[in-house]
Amino acid sequence: MDASNARTSAAAKGAERDLVITRVLDAPRRLVFEAWTRPEHMMRWFGPKGFTTPLCTIDFRVGGAFRYCMRSPEGRDYWGIGVYREIVVPERIVYTDAFTDAEGNPVPASHYGMSSSHPPETLVTVTFEEQDGKTKLTLRHGIPETVTERDGTQQGWNELLDRLAEVLAKE
Amino acid sequence: MRSRVLQDTMSADPLSATFAALADPTRRAILARLTSGVASVTELAEPFDISMPAVSKHLKVLEHAGLIARSRDAQWRPCRLDAGPLKEVADWVERYRRFWEQSFERLDDYLRELKTKEKKNGRKQRKN
Repeated sequence: MDASNARTSAAAKGAERDLVITRVLDAPRRLVFEAWTRPEHMMRWFGPKGFTTPLCTIDFRVGGAFRYCMRSPEGRDYWGIGVYREIVVPERIVYTDAFTDAEGNPVPASHYGMSSSHPPETLVTVTFEEQDGKTKLTLRHGIPETVTERDGTQQGWNELLDRLAEVLAKE
Repeated sequence: MRSRVLQDTMSADPLSATFAALADPTRRAILARLTSGVASVTELAEPFDISMPAVSKHLKVLEHAGLIARSRDAQWRPCRLDAGPLKEVADWVERYRRFWEQSFERLDDYLRELKTKEKKNGRKQRKN
């Protein structure tokens, strides 16, 4: 395998390693898209079970921010910011996601008591497809290239994580 | 050269340490080799067109990041992989899976509510 093939295959593997969740929602695409783009809607569903979203503001344009505060059942607040990278109404939304403090300054995940190996920034891609009056929603969540490609090449990174996954599976 | 990477890996923030150590193709290749078992420095240096001191420097960075451990007693000081910090790198995916799956449960419920509201409003508009 020559270097360019290795690179292509590493990139493909990287895409495979991203978290991908697909879900068919029993609502028209227009409505599902709206649920992702208006704060009064986001506040009603964004976050794990038992969490509330006491604050959410959305500046829905490329480069605009989506800021939120999620409150855990124990009353702990988690602040975050998303920045829209791509918007195709009503088909696709791409944004980067990062933790912040209450003032909006970026903080590492360890600020919220999470593992410090949590990536500092993640990339979320949501696509909306119409399917007989229902909506097929596909969510892809991964580490953006700015993090994996600090050294200008992603080659070897994905391969390593793949092999590591095999080793861990055996342990 | 006292590299910035080594300084990063020695800093208090394990995230920087892990990512800084991983942000180099040679070091990733070394770790990949170690997934198949322990190896000596000479064995690890073999596939690369770099000097032994350069390989030792990479190993030092990996060791500081807690990604590898080196035996002190054996004369050839074999290196072995310490998967702990890397496993944590993989864990964030699971955290997000839970986040989204639970969010989508709520979204499903909320959309049902929205549809019911729209239907009611539709009927009102027809009456008027």
